[in-house]
Amino acid sequence: MSLKTPTRTTAAEARHPSNSAQGSHRPARALAVLKKNTSGLVVLIILSVLVVLPLGLVLLAAFSDSVPRPGSISLGGLTLSNLALLATPEAFGALVNSLMVGTGSALIALLIGAFLAFVCARSDAPWRKFIFFIGMAPMFIPALVGALAWSLLSSPSAGYINILLRDLGIDAAINIYSLPGLVFVLGIFYAPYAFLLLHSSLSMMNADLEEAATVHGAPLRTMLRTVTLPLALPAILGSAVLVFALTMENFPVAQVIGNPAGVDTLPTYIYRLMSATPAKSNQAASVAVILTVALMAVTVIQQRIINKRKFTTMTGKGNRPRQVPLRKLRWPFTLLAVGYFAVSVVLPMLALLTASMQATPFVSSISQLLEANSLSFAKLLEVLGSNDFQLALKNSVLVALIAAFAGTTLSFIASYVRYRTKSRTGRLIELVAMTPLAVPAIVMGIGLLWTWLLLPLPIYGTLAILAVACVAVFLPQGYRGVSASMLQMDQDLEDSAVMLGAGRARSVVDVTLPLMRVGITSSFLLFLMLSMRELSASIFLFTSNTRILSILVFDNFDNGQSQAAAAVSVLYCLVIGILAVIAQKAGGERKTKS
Amino acid sequence: MKISIQNLQLKYGSFTAIENLNLDIEDGEALVLLGQSGCGKTSTMRCIAGLEEPTSGRIIIDDIVVFDSEKGINLPPNKRNVGMVFQSYAVWPHMTVAQNVAYSLKRKKLATKEIDERVTEALTLVGLDQFAERGASLLSGGQMQRVALARSLVMRPSVLMLDEPLSNLDARLRDRLRVELREIQLKLGLTCVYVTHDQHEAFALADRIALLQGGRIVQMGAPRHMYEAPASASIAHFLGVSNIMECTEITAADGQTAARIAASDLTIHATQPPAQAALSPKVCIRAEDLQVTAAPTGSVNSWPGTVRVAGFQGNDVRYAVELEAGPELDVLGGLKRGEQHNVGDRVWVTVNAREVQILPAEVFA
Repeated sequence: MSLKTPTRTTAAEARHPSNSAQGSHRPARALAVLKKNTSGLVVLIILSVLVVLPLGLVLLAAFSDSVPRPGSISLGGLTLSNLALLATPEAFGALVNSLMVGTGSALIALLIGAFLAFVCARSDAPWRKFIFFIGMAPMFIPALVGALAWSLLSSPSAGYINILLRDLGIDAAINIYSLPGLVFVLGIFYAPYAFLLLHSSLSMMNADLEEAATVHGAPLRTMLRTVTLPLALPAILGSAVLVFALTMENFPVAQVIGNPAGVDTLPTYIYRLMSATPAKSNQAASVAVILTVALMAVTVIQQRIINKRKFTTMTGKGNRPRQVPLRKLRWPFTLLAVGYFAVSVVLPMLALLTASMQATPFVSSISQLLEANSLSFAKLLEVLGSNDFQLALKNSVLVALIAAFAGTTLSFIASYVRYRTKSRTGRLIELVAMTPLAVPAIVMGIGLLWTWLLLPLPIYGTLAILAVACVAVFLPQGYRGVSASMLQMDQDLEDSAVMLGAGRARSVVDVTLPLMRVGITSSFLLFLMLSMRELSASIFLFTSNTRILSILVFDNFDNGQSQAAAAVSVLYCLVIGILAVIAQKAGGERKTKS
Repeated sequence: MKISIQNLQLKYGSFTAIENLNLDIEDGEALVLLGQSGCGKTSTMRCIAGLEEPTSGRIIIDDIVVFDSEKGINLPPNKRNVGMVFQSYAVWPHMTVAQNVAYSLKRKKLATKEIDERVTEALTLVGLDQFAERGASLLSGGQMQRVALARSLVMRPSVLMLDEPLSNLDARLRDRLRVELREIQLKLGLTCVYVTHDQHEAFALADRIALLQGGRIVQMGAPRHMYEAPASASIAHFLGVSNIMECTEITAADGQTAARIAASDLTIHATQPPAQAALSPKVCIRAEDLQVTAAPTGSVNSWPGTVRVAGFQGNDVRYAVELEAGPELDVLGGLKRGEQHNVGDRVWVTVNAREVQILPAEVFA
């Protein structure tokens, strides 16, 4: 950018000889250009440290024989030998598994999400409000906890479902520790993403378009096939690709469910390489590069599909699209939805509660659980009172709050530079801010680890680095929320404050911030909720003093203490639930105010 | 206060929004920048306000150089003491009417008592003194317009600029506010710059109109002058002249000019000589200057034709008459003048040779 400026100035002056006669103004103008871009450059530098540098280090490590460390960073040891690993059956198997997991769970999530969205938004089934809740509820259970719950439910030997089957004399066992099991768990816990996208597409669809089809003689079935479905298609494809991307990079579920089965996906393979002794960091980096490239390709496709959607189905009109009468299927459809609720929320929660309350670690039959004194709150209370839990809780909340505050602030400044100034850095800022969308969290974690070991700022080993990780990983979501809200606000509102004598900063504080408070608060809450659930990046960044709740659950499970893991999980979900209720309250208040 | 704009140029990449614009606005004058969307009128206004940075040129407000590209002067908008009423009004919905209006005074850190007085004064001027404590989001369009106006007036600006001030209002309110705006401007002796694309609005508000096309001022003058003597056929078209015909041959003799209309057997006579030796001259006649009668009038410009469409408009009837000589004319027939004609009637269309203008297609200032 700074290289371009002088050439531009000379070109302009060549066309206006009167200007170049006074050559002394040239530096003044270059300075003006620099001044105009200062804030943009500062934001760009922060974003680069946050996003670009970590990725660069991973890329460097992938093609190097040493790990980037202070003093030892050089381009001397460049090699392609790490790539040889990619030809091994292990790495290739992990890649194939990742693709299968992504495809399978995207299909399941799409089926569930589309079904729920249709029933909730466009049918006359009973309990539609509850079905909307059903569609969203699993989002409040971190995928890690969901996976843990399902391993309690149907691990081949000790799973509650399998014990029940044995009790009933049925000679069949469900083995969740398998590739289909992994696909199933990911599918049900990522279905809400498909549901939310499709629900908004179906309920915001312009009713006129459908009515036009009816007026021109199409019966209901034909209308659904020729108008509704094509209009919803971008959302359908978009959500399927989104779930594919999310599940392909998912680490916690793959680790909990896949690891016992010996099923490796790319993220778990990376983790295994990183935690081997000695760590095979360079190989891990090369696998990380493959995963990132794959995810980038998928994300680009997804963004293309989603961007198309804007032109087809969004309308500002409040007219309600038509309801499809289900007749005999009304109750069966609702029951199916409730069935999904049982599988995604009720059973997992029951399993976690039971596991954390059972008196003996081993259960041989379900009837044993019904005996007196077989269940107690002792373990839960013990965990609640333990230093480990209290520290992790404090850390989690602190990290989430810092991340939410820093992330929202950064998102606002970046959006402002992009959409409210003429700074040439704007587009680049947006690109960098959106990049983490296409970077697996686990890769970001490795990159951040190396970055902050390298940088002179000593935040490694503190909570700050966990907050930094959350900001980096969730920046796209925050940035998108804030910039959407900024674009909705007429720039004249801020400019008029400037015209009336306020400085730019003052105008932002007096006018822009108050008018954007809804968008800003939701972005803050989004950062908060997402950061509370984060595991994949933090797993490389925590120390014994900076464990957060997700890490505590993972550690306990990893050490075979599934009862402790279950107990922490129950409390973890409780904390998230409380935060969600507070967020909802805050949201409700905002609505009544405006 | 006086405003002087010198050699103003604004470019967005390779697109030139304003091309070498020179304009002096006198103290107390109401100047209207008139033109189609994209002609550069709003950009010019935003350059004066300081919301847009010109590529080059100089802007002087009240003897203070607020922008000079050569000397590197660019005063920020909040230091220019320029009032601006935005097209969207930009009234802040999170404040009351009084808070909106008091904003600039609070920035100047005036005493509370003085702020109260001036706010009341401004609100009384625009007729909103009863609404001071109302939330600004509860106002109607016309009331928001008044709040925006009061908010700008209260700061006693060197110049008040209004961007399409009436375009968001319904027709009746527009007529009333047009008169009120002019009244306030004259009463306060305020220097005003309006931007509009509506010639009626321009005629009613302006002391002087600057007509912009393609980023340049193509004609400037008093409203009446603009109406009577547009400089080109394209300006005439923009100002609402609906009969514009190309001509092939122009002959002048005895103070009479005869223009032969292209692709027809029609010759139109005019008293005024054609403007210079213009490029592709066009004959321009206003619809209201044409007359429809059942019988010939004996004038040199009287042609037989058939009524194709007759549209009743309340005060008058708009006819489309196809002349036997070829072209179709747009005619505004006053109802009070008597005759009414029906579709299919054979009629005569007449125009006084004095009302016929022969103008060049375009002018480049």
